[in-house]
Amino acid sequence: MDSFSNPSASGGSSPPISQEDFMNQLKTQLAQAYAEEFLETVRGKCFDKCITKPGSSLSGGESSCVSRCVDRYIEATGIISRALFSSQR
Amino acid sequence: MDPSALSSPQMQQFINQEKEKAMLNEMVAKLTTVCWDKCVSGTPGSKFSSSESSCLSNCAQRYMDMSIIIMKRFQSMQ
Repeated sequence: MDSFSNPSASGGSSPPISQEDFMNQLKTQLAQAYAEEFLETVRGKCFDKCITKPGSSLSGGESSCVSRCVDRYIEATGIISRALFSSQR
Repeated sequence: MDPSALSSPQMQQFINQEKEKAMLNEMVAKLTTVCWDKCVSGTPGSKFSSSESSCLSNCAQRYMDMSIIIMKRFQSMQ
């Protein structure tokens, strides 16, 4: 991923960065990558559910369907998460 | 940061933690897409019906049960 590459790594030495800063930057970039992946999934699922015949603009019905769809998908993620990690087996 | 810091115990632990987080995240994400397809029929409403919520919850747990069966079966063939 381009966001991981060091823009100054073209022969000169990199500016000093502490190990802690490096880890924090990596965590931030990972979080951004996860968020982008999640958004991409939601876009796909909600387009399938709500925009069955694309018209020349989004109808009010389609827009509110998309809003509800996003809410439901986030809720579904929570349900799955809890089912996996809090059930006693 | 000195490149040798990448192999420090602290860095290794950090990398392992992030790897684990990434694997868990991927499992939840994958299961959510699979169970969404199985359990959420038609247009999304303003809340889930109780049958949709229990379907989602059951779906995740049955998938894990199935995973264990598959692993045991596979191991019994080694």
